[in-house]
Amino acid sequence: MCSPEEAALLRLEEVFSATLARINSLILQPLLSTAPEPLEPRGRECLRLLQQLHRSSQQLWEVTEGSLHSLRERLRHPDSTGLESLLLLRDADHVLQIYMEYVESYTSCVVVQAFQKVAKKRSEYWWGQRKVLRQLLWGVSSEGSVGAALAQALRQPLTHHLQQYVLLLLKLADAIGEHHPARELVVHAATHFGDLQSFTRQALDQAVATQALWHTLSSRLRDVLCTPAHRLLQDSQDIPVTVTPLRAERVLLFDDALVLLQGHNVQTFDLKLVWVNPGQDGYVFRILTPEEEFFICAKDSQGQVVWQWKVTQAVCQALRGKKDFPVLGAGLETSEPPACRCVVYTFRAEGRLCQATYEGEWCWGRPHGKGTLKWPDGQNHVGDFCQGLEHGFGIRLVPQASEDKFDCYKCHWQEGSMCGYGICEHGMDEVYKGYFQAGLRHGFGVLESAPQASQPFRYTGHWERGQRSGYGIEEDGDRGERYIGMWQANQRHGPGVVVTQAGVCYQGTFQADKMVGSGILLSEDDSLYEGTFTRDLTLIGKGKVTFPNGFTLEGSFGSGAGRGLNMQGVLDTAALPLDPNSTCKRQLGLGVFPVESRWQGAYSPFRDFVHAGCPGDLQEALLGFHVQSSRELRKSQEYLRCERTHPEDNAGSVEDILEELLQHRKPKALQQYLRKALSNSLHPLGKLLQTLMLTFQATYAGVGANKHLQGLAQEEVKQHAQEIWAFYRGLLRVALQRKGQALEEDEDAESRDLQVYGLVLPLMLDSFYSELFTLYLLLHEREDSLYSQGITNLSLFPDTKLLEFLDVQKHLWPLKDLTLTTSQRYSLIRDKCFLSATECLQKIITTVDPREKLEVLERTYEEIETTVSRVLGREHKLPMDDLLPLLIYVVSRARIQHLGAEIHLIRDMMDPVHTGGLYDFLLTALESCYEHIQKEDMRLHCLPGHWDSRELW
Amino acid sequence: RYTFSDTGVGKSSIVCRFVQDHFDHNISPTIGASFMTKTVPCGNELHKFLIWDTAGQERFHSLAPMYYRGSAAAVIVYDITKQDSFHTLKKWVKELKEHGPENIVMAIAGNKCDLSDIREVPLKDAKEYAESIGAIVVETSAKNAINIEELFQGISRRIPPLDPHENGNNGAIKLGKASTPSSRRCC
Repeated sequence: MCSPEEAALLRLEEVFSATLARINSLILQPLLSTAPEPLEPRGRECLRLLQQLHRSSQQLWEVTEGSLHSLRERLRHPDSTGLESLLLLRDADHVLQIYMEYVESYTSCVVVQAFQKVAKKRSEYWWGQRKVLRQLLWGVSSEGSVGAALAQALRQPLTHHLQQYVLLLLKLADAIGEHHPARELVVHAATHFGDLQSFTRQALDQAVATQALWHTLSSRLRDVLCTPAHRLLQDSQDIPVTVTPLRAERVLLFDDALVLLQGHNVQTFDLKLVWVNPGQDGYVFRILTPEEEFFICAKDSQGQVVWQWKVTQAVCQALRGKKDFPVLGAGLETSEPPACRCVVYTFRAEGRLCQATYEGEWCWGRPHGKGTLKWPDGQNHVGDFCQGLEHGFGIRLVPQASEDKFDCYKCHWQEGSMCGYGICEHGMDEVYKGYFQAGLRHGFGVLESAPQASQPFRYTGHWERGQRSGYGIEEDGDRGERYIGMWQANQRHGPGVVVTQAGVCYQGTFQADKMVGSGILLSEDDSLYEGTFTRDLTLIGKGKVTFPNGFTLEGSFGSGAGRGLNMQGVLDTAALPLDPNSTCKRQLGLGVFPVESRWQGAYSPFRDFVHAGCPGDLQEALLGFHVQSSRELRKSQEYLRCERTHPEDNAGSVEDILEELLQHRKPKALQQYLRKALSNSLHPLGKLLQTLMLTFQATYAGVGANKHLQGLAQEEVKQHAQEIWAFYRGLLRVALQRKGQALEEDEDAESRDLQVYGLVLPLMLDSFYSELFTLYLLLHEREDSLYSQGITNLSLFPDTKLLEFLDVQKHLWPLKDLTLTTSQRYSLIRDKCFLSATECLQKIITTVDPREKLEVLERTYEEIETTVSRVLGREHKLPMDDLLPLLIYVVSRARIQHLGAEIHLIRDMMDPVHTGGLYDFLLTALESCYEHIQKEDMRLHCLPGHWDSRELW
Repeated sequence: RYTFSDTGVGKSSIVCRFVQDHFDHNISPTIGASFMTKTVPCGNELHKFLIWDTAGQERFHSLAPMYYRGSAAAVIVYDITKQDSFHTLKKWVKELKEHGPENIVMAIAGNKCDLSDIREVPLKDAKEYAESIGAIVVETSAKNAINIEELFQGISRRIPPLDPHENGNNGAIKLGKASTPSSRRCC
């Protein structure tokens, strides 16, 4: 059954539909056809608004028809069609939406006085239509202008209709009783339309107030402020307020902006970027905007409350982007606007941000969070901001003078300037990877030219306030030269060493990029020049030349113009044996660049990281990061941001790293952990190692592979191992501190050495091994070649002959180990005796770990002793008289290449605790074998037969 | 008697005797009879001897500097029954004086003093010579364990403490971590 209310609703809708149809044909259509000249901007706007209103009205009519249709269906088949099928109930929200849109379109027209303007155009026509208009309006006098009448005609049917709706829906709710299934829907619809009434009332009031406002303003101000979207929410003429420190005779709060008027001057503040802060005292509150900060003072507390509330609610509404429903301040969210917002803003005030547009997160009037800042000159910055300044990671593109070339800074920033690690590409020409401070290169950094540059160069070293300063390596690809030494103000200054492609190297003191005063020069043929040098590296004044054959030339040198070197002095041809340490094996740079401070700048960010307690947010800034450097990627900064390998990805957060650290403290686990950490380029320890490898390669690879640098290199590797261990200890200390524990007592030098040499060095040596071993190879080249001649000769001897030749006592010969075929004789057997020891010794080259090498040596000795004991049939302890010849035998049979380089590398990298101990002894024994094999009698007597005639001891 | 070629001189025996006669031989790492260690108390300190053997043969003579490089003391052994070995000893002393580490403590051991009936080197000669070079001199018998202990005690007394702060006068030095003047033995 249908209720009478439903029938009433049907009638209501029928009337409203008809009214809308008439309004359309009698008012809207003529209005559109008589719209003002569309060429003028205001006219165009007017036309647009009227078209909008027409569309809204059309939709309103359609939805009314829909509702009507659903009512008719319901009345026709009351049993099969339920109450809930009514459009008004079923789709109340949609109906509501259509009404709101109509109200919005209508009020926009009101604000800009569209009706009045149009009516003025064709006043005669509308005058003629007065009668028709009057039919649409009831209960109101027809006095007033045509414009007002039009406005009323477009508003009144709607408000009246809404009123009826609410009344009928409430009646319906009463009529159907509490338990009707559709009751909830009915109540819901009734409430909604009630709310809509309030909304409409407020919207109309605001529109009227806004329209009225224009009349109080000068035409100039009106031109600026009058837009259809503006709705006046509060006017300081109603509730007076003053503004400090800015000057304003009038304050207007619109629904999208706060406006200060002073004479002809208008200051508009977008509400999305307005923060309201309660004042300290008086009837005052504070307004924060990106570029201004001011106080609004009311006359009394009521005034202050109203203004503050309205501004706050207007900000909320503006941020929500739609009108509060039903009335201002009734938004769904809390009535406090969020402190952090995401808005676009272009700065206007003079200063570094002038004309720059910021898009991103704001907080209390300042860029804060992630955002993009774009300057009109093409500069832009994508990254993190804090309190209005670049802070955290950011990518800055700075256009260069020539077009389509950019400087690209992928850096960490602190309070607006680059600070910490960064990668900066300067056009296509140079790349700097390193640390910054206060926007300048500072600390450790590598500046490298593009590979295809015409004059390739690379500087790896220290910087101070943008200039090369301190220890640094410069590679001049063009001249094939490398400078290793001290810098000051971008110039070579202080002690330095230069190595060249040709193998010449010199050491001296530099000033303004050139070597001055006394120095030494070692030529590739091992001639040594000592004395005072000119800027083009010729001796001048007192000097001495030592030739590789031992001759010396000492005296006074001078350089005649174009006639080469001339000198007066003594040529000493006595050819005393040369001290290799002063000529061919001379080590440059030792003591001049103290190893502890050599790579200070590379270590210090890691130390700082530990001292700061390993803060996660500084991890990247201090420890560096990797960015794929590709020209294409650079075009899109956003893309680059994603490409930056995030520290969390592989190594985990700092917390995870520290936690893992704590769980791996037992020796075995610690070793595994360190191995893993050092090989992970994202782990802090791995990063340190990577940086150190970079410096090492920059110094000793390529041109730097010069035997005179071996001393520098080996002490550097040991220092690096100590620093890595110290960094590990630092991390451990922080990890323990976070758990409220302290690191046990400071380790003494001996236990530290044990860890450094026993644990860290073997793990990291691999990373430096190829460069380092090359230096040892070069340094011991001569001895190694003599040794290998000796080995070659000895290899011609059959086993028994060799044992005899080496004076191994006959009873120690392991002949019973050998099983011979009938055709073999002992005297012909080769490479059979002490085979186990020989094979064992050969394993020495299978590892880079010096301690493992020493263990191989120890096992080799054990194999010899085992063999001897087996031969003698009893345990036998070998005195050196017996051991040395046997060892020489085994070494000569093992035929290890570059044994000299091996031995010296092992000795240098050996834990100093072993000095004088078992390993030292074994290594010395091996070295003495190596020396012995180089001797003349081992090399030159090729024929075994030669020895047969020799008397044996 | 002292020579590198004569294995009968007994240098190895002296060391073996020294190392084995006492309490801690079980903790000594050794390489046969070529490398041995022994810790002996000396005053309030413990001295750890790291004893390196060297090959005595003439042909390996030139390798010796590697072995005495960095050592604190050298024991040079001769056979009192062989005058030749005393001559060779003198050559060794000369070499050590010229190329050996500064301040190396030298000790001369006349071994086989149990065979004094066939003695060729009078004790007086040895003493005079030792005095002239500032060396300790002791006649020993590895066979009968005569004067072995005294020989090494003598060396201990002569070796200055490495680091007075570390070893000082406190007797609580751990075994094996004692001050380690390495007494390497050349003979």
